[in-house]
Amino acid sequence: MGALRIKLSLTITCLFALWIAGFASLPAREFLGIAPQDEGYYKSDVIKCKDGAKKFTKQQLNDEFCDCLDGTDEPGTSACPEGKFYCRNSGHIPQIIFSSRVNDGLCDCCDGSDEYNGNVNCSNTCWEAGKAARERLKKKIEKHQDGLVIRKQEVEKAKQEFVKEEVELSKLKNEEKILKGLVEKLREHKERIKKAEEEERLKKEKEEAQRVAETKSNEQKQLLDEYPEDLPERPHDKLEKTSQHVLEDKDITTVKAGANEETGTKEVHPDDAADQVQSPETTEGLSREKLGRLVASRWTGELSDKQTKEHNDKNEEEKENHDFAESGEEENYDSYYHSDTDDDRHQYDDEDDDNDFQDDADEPYGKDEVEYDDSSYTDKDFTSESPDTTTGSLSWLDKIQHTVQNHEIISTFVESSRVNKEYDDASLKLSKLQSRISSLSEKLKHDFGKEKEFYSFYDQCFEYKQNKYVYKVCPFRKASQVEGHSTTQLGNFGSSDEFLPLCQSIKAQRLLLHELRWANFEESYSVMQFSNGEKCWNGPDRSLKVRLRCGLKYELADVDEPSRCEYVAILSTPISCREEKLKELQQKLEDLNKSQPLAHDEL
Amino acid sequence: MTSPVRRSAAPVLLFLLLVFSSSVSAWKKEEFRSCKQTPFCKRARTRAPHSLPPFSVSDVSLSDGSVSGRLVPSPSIRQVTDEDPSADAAVDDTAQRPLLFRLSVYHGGILRLEIDEDPSSAPTPKRRFRLPDVLLPDLEDRRLWLPRLSSPSGVAATSFYLADGFEGILRHDPFEIVVRRTGSEGEPVLSFNSHGLFDYEQLRAKKEGEDWEESFRSHTDSRPHGPQSISFDVSFHGANFVYGIPEHASPSLSLRPTRGSGVDESEPYRLFNLDVFEYLHDSPFGIYGSIPFMLSHGTRSTSGFFWLNAAEMQIDVLAPGWDDSAAPNAGRVDSFWMSEAGVVDAFFFVGPGPKDVLKQYASVTGTPAMPQEFAVAYHQCRWNYRDEEDVAAVDAAFDEHDIPYDVLWLDIEHTDGKRYFTWDRTLFPHPEEMQKKLAAKGRHMVTIVDPHIKRDDSFHVHKEATEKGYYVKDASGKDFDGWCWPGSSSYSDMLNPEIREWWADKFSYKNYVGSTASLYIWNDMNEPSVFNGPEVTMPRDAIHHGEVEHRELHNAYGYYFHMATANGLVKRGNGKDRPFVLSRAFFAGSQRYGAIWTGDNSADWDHLRVSVPMILNLGLTGMSFSGADVGGFFGNPEVDLLVRWYQLGAYYPFFRGHAHHDTKRREPWLFGEENTALMREAIHIRYSLLPYYYTLFREAATSGIPIMRPLWLEFPADKETYDNSEAFMVGSSLLVQGVYEKNQKSVSVYLPSGASWFNLRNGVKYDGGVLLKLDASEDSIPSFQRAGTIIPRKDRFRRSSTQMVNDPYTLVIALNGSLAAEGELYIDDGESYDFEKGAYIHRRFIFANNKLTSIDIRPSTAGEKKFSSDCTIERIILLGLPSGAKKAVVAPGNHEMNIELGPLTLRKGSKPIALTIRKPNIRVADDWSVRIF
Repeated sequence: MGALRIKLSLTITCLFALWIAGFASLPAREFLGIAPQDEGYYKSDVIKCKDGAKKFTKQQLNDEFCDCLDGTDEPGTSACPEGKFYCRNSGHIPQIIFSSRVNDGLCDCCDGSDEYNGNVNCSNTCWEAGKAARERLKKKIEKHQDGLVIRKQEVEKAKQEFVKEEVELSKLKNEEKILKGLVEKLREHKERIKKAEEEERLKKEKEEAQRVAETKSNEQKQLLDEYPEDLPERPHDKLEKTSQHVLEDKDITTVKAGANEETGTKEVHPDDAADQVQSPETTEGLSREKLGRLVASRWTGELSDKQTKEHNDKNEEEKENHDFAESGEEENYDSYYHSDTDDDRHQYDDEDDDNDFQDDADEPYGKDEVEYDDSSYTDKDFTSESPDTTTGSLSWLDKIQHTVQNHEIISTFVESSRVNKEYDDASLKLSKLQSRISSLSEKLKHDFGKEKEFYSFYDQCFEYKQNKYVYKVCPFRKASQVEGHSTTQLGNFGSSDEFLPLCQSIKAQRLLLHELRWANFEESYSVMQFSNGEKCWNGPDRSLKVRLRCGLKYELADVDEPSRCEYVAILSTPISCREEKLKELQQKLEDLNKSQPLAHDEL
Repeated sequence: MTSPVRRSAAPVLLFLLLVFSSSVSAWKKEEFRSCKQTPFCKRARTRAPHSLPPFSVSDVSLSDGSVSGRLVPSPSIRQVTDEDPSADAAVDDTAQRPLLFRLSVYHGGILRLEIDEDPSSAPTPKRRFRLPDVLLPDLEDRRLWLPRLSSPSGVAATSFYLADGFEGILRHDPFEIVVRRTGSEGEPVLSFNSHGLFDYEQLRAKKEGEDWEESFRSHTDSRPHGPQSISFDVSFHGANFVYGIPEHASPSLSLRPTRGSGVDESEPYRLFNLDVFEYLHDSPFGIYGSIPFMLSHGTRSTSGFFWLNAAEMQIDVLAPGWDDSAAPNAGRVDSFWMSEAGVVDAFFFVGPGPKDVLKQYASVTGTPAMPQEFAVAYHQCRWNYRDEEDVAAVDAAFDEHDIPYDVLWLDIEHTDGKRYFTWDRTLFPHPEEMQKKLAAKGRHMVTIVDPHIKRDDSFHVHKEATEKGYYVKDASGKDFDGWCWPGSSSYSDMLNPEIREWWADKFSYKNYVGSTASLYIWNDMNEPSVFNGPEVTMPRDAIHHGEVEHRELHNAYGYYFHMATANGLVKRGNGKDRPFVLSRAFFAGSQRYGAIWTGDNSADWDHLRVSVPMILNLGLTGMSFSGADVGGFFGNPEVDLLVRWYQLGAYYPFFRGHAHHDTKRREPWLFGEENTALMREAIHIRYSLLPYYYTLFREAATSGIPIMRPLWLEFPADKETYDNSEAFMVGSSLLVQGVYEKNQKSVSVYLPSGASWFNLRNGVKYDGGVLLKLDASEDSIPSFQRAGTIIPRKDRFRRSSTQMVNDPYTLVIALNGSLAAEGELYIDDGESYDFEKGAYIHRRFIFANNKLTSIDIRPSTAGEKKFSSDCTIERIILLGLPSGAKKAVVAPGNHEMNIELGPLTLRKGSKPIALTIRKPNIRVADDWSVRIF
């Protein structure tokens, strides 16, 4: 008996010693898992649950029994499912973890304080982790600082640019008025000449009839037949242009089809397509392999997808024809006005040390410009005369006005052809002017952000290559996925209200990954939404969400498809570097540094 | 889903409709054979009762303790009674030789009937196939040696002992078998051929000019052995309803009659394992698995009938009056069984109670395997988690949202070109590392391995199988070549034990490169699915080991494949690690090899509803470890459906979320914080009930009683429960009612009579025998604890079940009218087979006379190994105790504790409503008692 008692008391002493040792380096049991700023809350002998439902005694604090359903009484144990555990993590940032992590055998806090029941030994990794985190944070801060500088410049430029274009627009509208008047005058003038000519002709005819001279009259009639029809703005030019494009597109179509057949490993057999189209009964009479493929396609949608895609492709091609024509004109005018913006662009390039990217993005459009310049609208005078809209425009307008004023009604053949030409030139200029006005006002309608900071995005495209796909994102326009010769539309930017401030569209955001929802807190332009892309087999219309991140370069990255046909991507841009975020980061670093010397001492 | 296309539609419209809809339309009825398109079914089904010349019994004798004899066809020329002029039907009696039969009795109330042809007079060398490997190997040891036969006076018949209170009667002319209660009444329980529909097409030589071929759509079945079908009628006496014979989708728990007076004639229930694209939620057509076991239940009796036969089967459930509309027999359910081939090897289970029938069936085909504990927890699947980053992100998001899960699944896209046992190394460059990262959090991974093997000479599995001749052969003797995910594929012949061993070895760590100890397996497409085969499966004239035709084996192909895979995992772990293999196809006995699920369901409310009767019928027929894909595989569930599905799915024995690759992501955190909280709560309920579920799995593994049970299994006398398809019991203590409609405002729950019930939402007590109308609350579906039971829980939540091992228990005691309750808790190491050697804790908690006692019910004969646990009980909740109790004292030690009011769950907002013993901190492994003052 005596021996047993000694043994027992020895064991107890040992256990006690162990207990002391075990907790020596940790906060006292009752303070486990409590944030320093919260310690005051737990000072009194009777403590309230934070949800006010109940009270508990100090003995019940961290006693491994959940008294408050909100976890107030068990900050340091896993007893309450709703509880949160605070780790100090000296040397690194403090962390609040779910109480489900306490004593679960896995090290969660870098100081190891979440595992104290002896089942697992967690080493303190806060110093190393903290160091790395501080480094990362510093880099991030630098990035934001540099980014903000660039951003500032760009915003300034964008504002200027915006104002400039607004001014230009109103100027152009004035010019339009004047030009309209001129064209009207020229038209009247032309009519008068025509009338005079007609009278002349009738008079001459009379004379001829009287003289009965045959051959000459015939020649003149021929001339007269030609002129009246040459009045409008060279319709054959336009025709030529259109047909040329149709031709081009046809070429593309054929190339595409050819390429599909050659490269597609799971290509659709033409028969398959036909079979499937006939009727649902057609699984009968298929070859074994075709039947297998067809049945497989019910689950995968591969076959049908291709078909739908082919179908869509056709639609898309038609649409593209259309787009080409449209954007073609736009590009033409863009190029025409590029003389304004080019300088800015160069400047911009100098600031942003990423010329390649800019060049890449511009390239296809550049090509288009060249094509167009070659093809028809070669109004060199119009272009060259108008680099400076303030003075240049006056000069050419003056010139025309002058010409018109100097017109005398001289009904000679030479005069008539000159007037006709002037009329044609003027009306062509008018139509171009109007086109430019409409494209400018279209552009200016967009929402470029509070500070017009996204203004420069308007005529940029960003590309990202991932395996066999090239993703192309053109803000304010559309996004696409290009594989070889085939292009899949991922979505259109739509109107400016699609530029989603996250907080306003919780519903639309429901399906986004969690990270995104944190952006709810920034009331800012952090996502670009492209929607109503090509339809997916058995799925939604394709769509793309581009999350904007602070970065020194403009860079599209991390294109992902978390759900079928719902794409996400990240675009880094200095535009998304924000002052508030920088401050937040700096505060974080400051906090980190505060705990640093302490951690050092401990070590 | 899609409206039928009208022929009159303009061609352009037709074209557009087809392009956009043909491939997404639902079930393709015309691709599957109806009974009318299946000659043996059509012939048999059109026969009137007693229209066939009867068989009579002769040469009855006792041999080796069984009754044997001959069945002699009537000498009169058999009438061709059906109008079918086909060759088969016109066959005269030349093939009608006497058949051999044997009747054997097995311990526990089981009668077995075998009928085969007499090999001594066989005109062809072909023998009928008897399916091996399904019956338990020790079944023969449990056969009763019948001492004598007796002849009841008055009729030509033989009677014999079956079980206490039951006897078997063999009527001689016409042949009929009746199982009945002994005694003066002689009340019948089951009978065979009471309606004279027994027919047996015997094998014979082909006659001149006879054509045995059958065509269906573009497929031709050579049928080299001609007609060989079997049909007969079975009557369940004293029954109100019949159940079982899965797998069919139906909103009804009981099997609705397929023909008879007052019934819209439908197809018979078909048992033919098929990969049915977008199966209908209400159809007697066969889907992925087949268990030819039917149970009946009524106020007077419960019984069962099992036909061991893996050929295509068609079963009619006949409404009263089907045979004689003038005298409908209400106290009986008749059924008519038809099979294309095989023999009669049938088992009659006498009951008398529902659980007796289940135990009797389990004693023939086996009890479900004891799963690892992780497999009982929540599984997260999707076709497909794309790559390692995706896997890591999903895993991290569960932690970020504090939602537990145990297993992450990879579907077919993880492989290199659908070559199973390989990895797409671009997407999964470091599979071991990926699994180890999951394993570090106590999580497991499952990869898919399907039976179709890509015909690619550079694929080692194909190369080996070809060289060794391990593939199923086509009718011409060449390796069968079918189309499945990888394209051209062949199928290993799992009937052959040698090939199963070869297959099992493919799962060794060495052979399955990139696999680790935390990786388990999913067998899909094992019906087998053959995209270009007849009815999307293998041709019936394909040849297996021993010249067995595929038609004879079809329904068991998936069973053998499942068996071989499970054995592979056992081998991999040197017999120490319990396997986990989920299979889609199944047959009687599949419960011994793992879990199954209800296949490719759809994200709609109907499919949510039918999941319950489907799982209940699976449980009744032995497959207790089963579940339906939470959320529905095809389509995008609206968020309320998804939430309701999680709330219901949390009670499925097998609990897995899964989705088709065309659907939107639907992991539980993607639908806003509010819905995340609802789904988290649903998953938490499952995790807190894991100790209870694991105890129920143990019960299933020892007795065959399922985890999820129809109400009538627990309340056999309450007629209201017999066809309740909406509510179910989890074990004997918990009743759950699903919510199956969108925006449902209220929900009606029937609480069975004979017990009181505690609503687990608010602790309110209800008497049984009432239909209760409750508000349908958004945050949970109704659940009730039956008075008189004790449920063990763990109310602390972790990342996965692995970290819960050392967590303390909560006991929820629901007292009955005599202030008494009982419950059990089973614990073992959760992964090894040591429990078979006794390494487990099994306690019974008994509350009576204000005292809770824990008793060890692990038998001393359990084995020499022990399992220990330091887990304690942190909380005891008492429901139904009159207030006034203040203190509790634990013995031994006389440690005193307070009793206070506490919440029923630790969920936010729970009200303190139940007397709670605070921190008794008694060890769960010890003997103790807690007295209440």
